[in-house]
Amino acid sequence: MKYKINFILNNENVEHEVEANRTLLKVLREDFDLTGAKEGCGLGECGACTILVDGRPVNACMMLGIEADGKEILTIEGLSNGTKLDELQLSFVNNGALQCGYCTPGMIMSAKGLLKENATPTEDEVKEAISGNLCRCTGYKKIVEAIMEVVENNK
Amino acid sequence: MKNFEYFKPSTLKEASELLIKKGANAHILNGGTDLIIRMKEGITSPDVVVDIKGIKELHNIKFDEKEGLFVGACVVLNDMAHNQIVKEKYKVLSNAAKSVGSGQIRNKATMTGNICNASPLADTSTPLLALDAKVLVYGPNGEREIPINELFVWVRKVSLEHGEIVKGVRIPAYENIIGDFQKISRRKEVDLSTVASTVVKINDEIRIALASVAPTPIRARKAESFIKGKKLTDEVIEEAAKIAASEASPIEDVRASKEYRIEMIKIAVKRNLNAVRS
Ligand SMILES: Cc1cc2nc3c(=O)[nH]c(=O)nc-3n(C[C@H](O)[C@H](O)[C@H](O)COP(=O)(O)OP(=O)(O)OC[C@H]3O[C@@H](n4cnc5c(N)ncnc54)[C@H](O)[C@@H]3O)c2cc1C
Ligand code: FES
Ligand code: FES
Repeated sequence: MKYKINFILNNENVEHEVEANRTLLKVLREDFDLTGAKEGCGLGECGACTILVDGRPVNACMMLGIEADGKEILTIEGLSNGTKLDELQLSFVNNGALQCGYCTPGMIMSAKGLLKENATPTEDEVKEAISGNLCRCTGYKKIVEAIMEVVENNK
Repeated sequence: MKNFEYFKPSTLKEASELLIKKGANAHILNGGTDLIIRMKEGITSPDVVVDIKGIKELHNIKFDEKEGLFVGACVVLNDMAHNQIVKEKYKVLSNAAKSVGSGQIRNKATMTGNICNASPLADTSTPLLALDAKVLVYGPNGEREIPINELFVWVRKVSLEHGEIVKGVRIPAYENIIGDFQKISRRKEVDLSTVASTVVKINDEIRIALASVAPTPIRARKAESFIKGKKLTDEVIEEAAKIAASEASPIEDVRASKEYRIEMIKIAVKRNLNAVRS
């Protein structure tokens, strides 16, 4: 059986039909072709699937698609304005804060969630905000630097 | 994940009736951070899922000088941990909540889900046990209150009947709580407790609670009565920690051996007691 849901996806109203047993991550990737959010562990441990739900970082692998009903969902694809990158995306590029890129959408969405709440966090607060995101390539240093550069620019 | 029927009722009555009508394989969905993982892994395969997040009253968090703190079943851990009153008056609970999983998890997970899941290591269980919290339950035969220590029955088993729904948790108002939460885990973030403990000092009474050391989270009552009336000297703390460890019956699992856990209980309780002695 399919259930009708309505939600805001990357700033647009959408109406969609989903089976109850599909995760939001699957729905985003398979039905909407939004493949920015990745499935790493599928168990809430790596953060590769991080998206914003009503402005707050959540693991899309652990949320049912049907739970998106009535919510505002933002994925990495909704961050940029056409070809104009978001400040965090730009800073990740400029700081070389990615290698394979698998963790990057999740890292950026976690950082975005923090900056929405607090535009000028400390470095420790930045580290805490991305502590639910694993990166197997960069050693995190450049990721923290990229986020801190945006913070400095905001001051 | 096996397919299932999904319902999102807007009242407790409707939710409870649905659970009863649909039978034993109808499960309550709250934040889903335990249930959805279990469903993905095929450990739990409900025929029916009743999402309780549509019930407005379960999202309340409020404080009253007489009644104390009420945390509704659907309040997410981040909202509870960062609530002004909770930070001021129940700091130890805020600290325990902040130790759960990651920011992403805490934006979905709830304290009620944490205790109803009845894992022996539930991180919010020790402050609740130490603070003598009450679990408020709605059911087909009316409402009832369960003292938190009577909620936990065994590993993953709580004293709730099918059709009963926890409305939230109430923690008494205390004039002044001096409390300390300790979590020993392999890494600081996104890890489950190898041992967790909370000690609170209320007036001159010391209460000790432990998690991940027995089939359910427990109060270390013998250690508490040993301390009663004594000054918290180094010797008393040392002995109390030993007694607390003797009250536990830990298992060996992927996180630690039994022997390691017993040593760590002593360490955690010592840290707790040192933190609350003034
Ligand atoms: C990656 C990861 C890390 C984690 N880290 C920790 C950690 O560090 N410490 C820790 O303690 N836990 C941890 N957890 C476990 C989990 O996040 C918590 O137990 C969480 O608090 C559960 O709350 P929930 O709202 O998500 O519950 P759900 O998954 O929705 O429900 C859990 C259980 O409780 C029942 N239930 C929920 N609400 C009610 C109600 N109102 N009435 C009756 N029954 C109800 C459900 O039917 C289900 O059986 C972790 C989980 C993951 C995936
Ligand atoms: S894929 Fe969701 S947390 Fe790892
Ligand atoms: S860049 Fe490869 S996992 Fe982070």
